[in-house]
Amino acid sequence: MKKLFLLAMVFVLSIVVVACKEEPLEEVSLTVWASELDQTLTRTLVDEFIADHADEVILTVEVGPLSESQAADTVLADIDAAADIFSFADDQFNRLMEAGALQEIVENTAAVIAANGGANSGSILAGSSDGDLYAYPMTADNGYFLFYDSSVYSTSDVATLDGILTRAAADGSQFTMQINNGWYLYSFFQGAGLSLTYDGTVNTANWDNATGSKVTEAIIAMAEHDGYVNMTDAEFSAGVTAGTITAGINGVWNATVAETAWGDNYAATKLPTYTLDGVQTQMASFAGYKLVGVNQTTDNPYWAMMLAEYLTSEDAQVRRFGVQSWGPSNVNAAQSTEVQANPAIAALALQSQFATIQNVGGNYWSPTESFGNNIVDGTLTSSSTPAEIQAALVAMVEGVEAAPAA
Amino acid sequence: MEQTNASVLLKKPKLRTRFVNYFKDLWLSFTKGDKYVKLSALFLGVGFFKRKQTGKGIIYAFLQLLFILFMIFIGIPNLVKLSTLGTVELEVIYDPVLRDNVFNDYDNSFLILLYSLITMAFILFMTILWVKNIRHQYHIQIKVEQGEKLPTIKEEIKAYMNEKFHVTLLSLPITGIVLFTVIPLIFMFLIAFTNYDQNHQPPIKLFTWVGFRNFNLLFDFSSSNQAFGYAFGVIIVWTLIWAFFATFLNYFGGIWLAMYINSKTVKWKKMWRTIFVLTIAIPQFVSLLLISYFFANYGIVNTLAENAGLLQFFKDIGLVKPTLDYIPFLTGPIWTRVMLILINCWIGFPYVMLIATGVLMNIPKDLYESAEIDGATKFQQFTKITMPFMLFVTAPYLITSFIHNMNNFNVIYLLTSNRATSDLKLAAVDARDVDLLVTWLFRLTSEQANYKMASTVGVILFLISVVFTLLAFNYVIRGNKEEDFQG
Repeated sequence: MKKLFLLAMVFVLSIVVVACKEEPLEEVSLTVWASELDQTLTRTLVDEFIADHADEVILTVEVGPLSESQAADTVLADIDAAADIFSFADDQFNRLMEAGALQEIVENTAAVIAANGGANSGSILAGSSDGDLYAYPMTADNGYFLFYDSSVYSTSDVATLDGILTRAAADGSQFTMQINNGWYLYSFFQGAGLSLTYDGTVNTANWDNATGSKVTEAIIAMAEHDGYVNMTDAEFSAGVTAGTITAGINGVWNATVAETAWGDNYAATKLPTYTLDGVQTQMASFAGYKLVGVNQTTDNPYWAMMLAEYLTSEDAQVRRFGVQSWGPSNVNAAQSTEVQANPAIAALALQSQFATIQNVGGNYWSPTESFGNNIVDGTLTSSSTPAEIQAALVAMVEGVEAAPAA
Repeated sequence: MEQTNASVLLKKPKLRTRFVNYFKDLWLSFTKGDKYVKLSALFLGVGFFKRKQTGKGIIYAFLQLLFILFMIFIGIPNLVKLSTLGTVELEVIYDPVLRDNVFNDYDNSFLILLYSLITMAFILFMTILWVKNIRHQYHIQIKVEQGEKLPTIKEEIKAYMNEKFHVTLLSLPITGIVLFTVIPLIFMFLIAFTNYDQNHQPPIKLFTWVGFRNFNLLFDFSSSNQAFGYAFGVIIVWTLIWAFFATFLNYFGGIWLAMYINSKTVKWKKMWRTIFVLTIAIPQFVSLLLISYFFANYGIVNTLAENAGLLQFFKDIGLVKPTLDYIPFLTGPIWTRVMLILINCWIGFPYVMLIATGVLMNIPKDLYESAEIDGATKFQQFTKITMPFMLFVTAPYLITSFIHNMNNFNVIYLLTSNRATSDLKLAAVDARDVDLLVTWLFRLTSEQANYKMASTVGVILFLISVVFTLLAFNYVIRGNKEEDFQG
């Protein structure tokens, strides 16, 4: 009987306690996928965000690693199971858009756009589709530029590809730029004024015209030069460390490697010009951005957007630059003297006038990689007939322009 | 009616007869049964209540109720959409006041297909239960009429621990196999008939049936736009070549190695065997990744080859293109193929060596002695005694290893995953010239999320494996050779 009475008391008390308490805070849990390199800072920022909003929401956030270059592969494998917030390189923006994986950014949109330089700035365009914003810009440094060892090359050498190759051959070292990779191969074709456009479903390119053949000949001439070697990103950093590579076209992710190997002689600038049919032509490039997207299938779009905004805020970008030397997309953050003094970011700024955002569909990458590989493995050489070159170009463009299945 | 005739039990009737009997029996039970049996066709378990088997009656009624609820809430809503796999695409509107996304009542093609499959499995289960129910009720009706005592629920449960113990034992694994193997397999098979890919991904987009389009695409060798047919042709030829060499080079290499180590001239036999077995002990992906670094374009082997003048030698005889400054071990199309087969030998020899060592030791020595007396040469002894014996014992191994090699993902993928192809037609469908069907399938799923084509390739791969297995088993283990080898 006593037990029963106690039990009843506890029951009554618990009702009273619950009734007295105010309406409980909403409980929200989110998952963030960020670069392996950026885990610590992301965790710190997330914890700050949780503390800042402790009076509005009970947030639990899990932070997991995901390589930005492969984000689309992982997210698109199962959108429903992917993180609420994930960072990715802008070359995957169109794939993610086509699959409908990205939530439109509708909270504080105007402020985000203004902070990154307005609606026509590259970083905003890279994350927009049809004028609507679908991703938060995080960095503006994901493009490529020319690294060189200033003890080997003079500033006039690095102005032209011929100058670099001649000097490298004389030095016994080598210059590298990966041509069996659509990302870098673009430089030559775009630089020559050829077009590559994407309408949201299919690519259109005119790389297989007469100029395209001349461009291909120029690439072959480079590939066959003694001062040139084709290397992947990983081989590039190994080559720089080993001392066989004294110049190369690559991105900020290898800046530390070059800085360590070349010390004070580490220098960076815009891409060189190359000889196209006897005329010096400036190499173009893809401007690269890292973006943060919110998953369309998230259960908590508001808090996901707020957190994504915080992760890409001016303060966050300044701190990220401090830790990773990743160049900010935020205009104010990019103005700081520290950022401006960074050679890699200065080089990217120089290249930016020749850079275009990566508005290409998923069918671009595989055919261009294969086309470049024809030159790398000696299938296309300086002794190839114009018809052979033309056939390869036509096959590449056919692959690039292929429409995805309905 | 359950058969108790001893002669019937002793000799199992043909499948067709059993099938016919099953339904004859059902019809008989239904027509000859009393009103309770007939009523139980509508309400399962009615007859059990009548014959005072309340426990059983409750179980049957409960199962029926469960089934009806399942059909109303999950089964029928999904089944009606099965023909289209859904028509309402997801639409999201963000509501700034609610601070949340507002979704329409959308269809999820993936779930529709999955739930429909599960529903069909349930219907099948219920049909079997229904038939069993009627037959069983008629059976107990007769028992009651003959004045036999019916088992109580306790006794029946006890039976499942004793004479029907096999049912108890197998029910869990069979449920597991149906849920986790059969249904997913059928699901994957059905995906091959849809357009489920990166651009049709639930829950955001719908996918739908496309009939045999994917198969047509795969077998359309003339298509120039999306060259799936071309890629399929190239890849299947290479898959078969690879499987042939990988299997038979390993096989004969392993036997040779075992015989060589076994021969009298070799000392420290155990040490040699241990060394070779070490390659098994090291995880394959570790050794393969190391090898891929060794043989990289600017890897250590290339440096050595250049210093030793091998590179120049290969250029002189035309095996390496003059513009290259390395030997394309794992990048040239032909080089890579040869290297893959050789590297696979290095990994595969020890396995066969181990098997062969065991088998060789079991060949009766007197066979060789009598052969020698008859004047047989060593080679004759090998072809007439050793090989037939080996082949007989290891034929199943040989077949499984051929199938295994067709699907040998590790060696191919770990050594060539970062490799670009110069074949533009292959590149257009994300294939590489050294891809096996299985690595292509992997690329299609993990890199392109092209599930429809991956499933199609998977179905074809399955069919090929089945055909090869059946053919090989029929030819190799044909006849009655067993007596020949039992001395």
